[in-house]
Amino acid sequence: MDFNLQEDPPELAAFRREVAAWMEENMRGGDHLRWSASWSTRENEEEYHFRRNLANKLGRKGWLFPMFPKQYGGAGMTMAHQVVLETELLKYGLSLSHVFYTLARIVAPVVLKWGTEEQKREFLPPMARGEISVWQVLTEPQGGSDVANCQTKAIRDGDDYVVTGQKVMVGHHVAPDFLWTLVCTNPQGKRHENLGWLHIPANLPGIEIQPMYLMMGIKNSVFFDGVRVPAKYLVGGENNGWKVANTHLELEHGGDGRIGVDPLVERVIEYCQKNEAGGKKLIEDERIRDTIADMMLELNTLRRFNQRNFYHRFARKPHPYGGVQQRYFQRMARLRNGERLQQIMGVDALVQDLSVHEVVDFEYAVRTGPGQLHGGGTLDTDRLVFARRVGLGRPVFEKAPETI
Amino acid sequence: MDLTLNETQEMFKKVAADFVKAEVPAHEMTQWYRMKETFRPDLYRKTAEVGWVGMLLPEKYGGGEAAYTDCAVVFEELGRGPVPGPLFSAGALGAQIVFEGGSEEQKKSWLPEICRGELIPVPAFADTAAAWGPESIETRIAKSGDGFTLQGKKRFVFDAEAATHFIVAARTENGEVALVLIDRKSPGITVNRLIGFTVSAAEVVFEGARVPSSNVISAGSGWRILDAALEKTLPLLCSYQVGACQEIFDFTVEYTRSRVVFGQPIGRFQRVQDHCVDISIHLDAARWATYETLWLLDSGQPAKASVHEAKAIASEGYHHACNYAHMVFAGPGTDYGHPLMAHSVLAHTLYQYLGTPAHHKKLMMDELFPRAR
Repeated sequence: MDFNLQEDPPELAAFRREVAAWMEENMRGGDHLRWSASWSTRENEEEYHFRRNLANKLGRKGWLFPMFPKQYGGAGMTMAHQVVLETELLKYGLSLSHVFYTLARIVAPVVLKWGTEEQKREFLPPMARGEISVWQVLTEPQGGSDVANCQTKAIRDGDDYVVTGQKVMVGHHVAPDFLWTLVCTNPQGKRHENLGWLHIPANLPGIEIQPMYLMMGIKNSVFFDGVRVPAKYLVGGENNGWKVANTHLELEHGGDGRIGVDPLVERVIEYCQKNEAGGKKLIEDERIRDTIADMMLELNTLRRFNQRNFYHRFARKPHPYGGVQQRYFQRMARLRNGERLQQIMGVDALVQDLSVHEVVDFEYAVRTGPGQLHGGGTLDTDRLVFARRVGLGRPVFEKAPETI
Repeated sequence: MDLTLNETQEMFKKVAADFVKAEVPAHEMTQWYRMKETFRPDLYRKTAEVGWVGMLLPEKYGGGEAAYTDCAVVFEELGRGPVPGPLFSAGALGAQIVFEGGSEEQKKSWLPEICRGELIPVPAFADTAAAWGPESIETRIAKSGDGFTLQGKKRFVFDAEAATHFIVAARTENGEVALVLIDRKSPGITVNRLIGFTVSAAEVVFEGARVPSSNVISAGSGWRILDAALEKTLPLLCSYQVGACQEIFDFTVEYTRSRVVFGQPIGRFQRVQDHCVDISIHLDAARWATYETLWLLDSGQPAKASVHEAKAIASEGYHHACNYAHMVFAGPGTDYGHPLMAHSVLAHTLYQYLGTPAHHKKLMMDELFPRAR
């Protein structure tokens, strides 16, 4: 067992120095722009441009997807290199797997797994260089969990697919370059065998994006009205969309893994050392100490689940249920922590603090507790997948889909 | 980063798993727990023969000089039994106390005997029911002739019945904590088994029991020694609880396949599936907290806060894993002939043993964020 993320084998020491120096250089003047989730819901233009620009610079060095082959825009490096990059970025509260303001972290590995050689050469390098932003657009108005019951039609017509339908609750405040989506390619076909997966340029005629104002910030509706999508954008082949979806969903449902510490506890401690009640610092209060301890144990458990999944993914040792387990636990812990924050800091937990990034803002943490319970599938789908992977009540269990 | 067991550990794991299968068959084990006859001298002797008693100690004292994680994989398999006996209390913690605090002479004379399973030194330190810190030590030790006498009542001594000796923590006249090794057969010692929803535990009463001077491990810094020994051995107890959780998870999953009601296996019901998800979360939370702590110890990094965290998570996890399994097994799980009952009574016992989760969370916080004085 070796959980070490900081001490490198000798051959990597120089690489860590190189990355550290590079980050220092490129974060200069951007101290107030530390921290990141996939995106911020605050619609801060300065932050948006800074982070896209940073992703682009990292990407040009092959560092956004360090383990990807060089011909597709990666750096052909090892897991140890990736760990160095992740941990050096983490010093600024950033993470490679968030490939800023795009879902490329999931999309690119799926293209690598299911794309043709031509598609890989065309689609991957711009993603790996951080030049384009991709939204995942799966949820439809009639429901999210039953992804296979997809009503957006893509009917083959000559060299194109003609796409008509609507996706909801996707993206963020700046329109993307591509829409990554599941469509129904054969309305008469059998369930699971009637689907296709499209990588759709977002600027095609007939696409309209409208904002939705939600608990967790801005998301969007995407309308497709007879959009002609060239057939070369079909990934994974004719009527094979469900298999592509499985790889995609395994990554999205926790299987992608992560290295890093949730910064929330650190900020809670800072708050409790600074603030007083009844002439006593909050950190000296027994009840608050107990509450922080519970929070800390859960966030540490989450950190270990994330690291376990990261390891299993990149060491190519598939874990049968690690992904959905992490995801279910993460969302329940987030919900519980929202309540804990309210117990610790009272009404301060409900008021936005614009002086810090939303990732460490108490109000954001409380609000997204219930707000992020469903993203990418409900808690119940997590548990359904778990049951199949373990084989509860079944003579055989389902293997985890292969990811990259 | 490498989150797998190495070859040696895989081998230890297999040997231990085979041992549990051969020596602790479920139909016998459940009866030991039902009858509260959990100390099996033959079984303990065999574990000593395989080298699991004093496994962490240096070879020169008869130990196995094993890494923490090596030792832990064995404890994990034993937890699957759950194999009863003083392998942790005496064979790990007791041995470690002697190693940490004993004089060279004491170590040379006692440790090899401990490792052979002949001397079974069971720690007895908390006098009170609900505390495990230094404040829980109330038994008095007083000078008497060329030795000492003990006066007091240890409320919850795990594995007391197995003891050939007790390692007793006691208050000196000036309020310090002394540690002594006392022969169980000394006059003035009574062992009263605790009857109830607990197992392998007893109250041990000292009424003027005599300790020779040569058996004093520490005259005044006993707490520091206990604390050091706990830091190094508690993760083994956590591993034992992880193994127990894994066993519960496995037999519960199997039951969801074989038990049919309303015309289908119960594992097809989502409510039942939910209980299994909860067991898995407690299991894996405990497993990875424990592994990480073991890694910190093996690589010589500060581990104290992490040890307390792991004990809190593992004890809580074992307790909850049993509760969720009870939801799945319903009536049959309450039969003393079912392994779940052995686990359930043991999980409640270990929840208390050496401090509840709340106690260890508090210690974790005190370690990370010391209080203002």
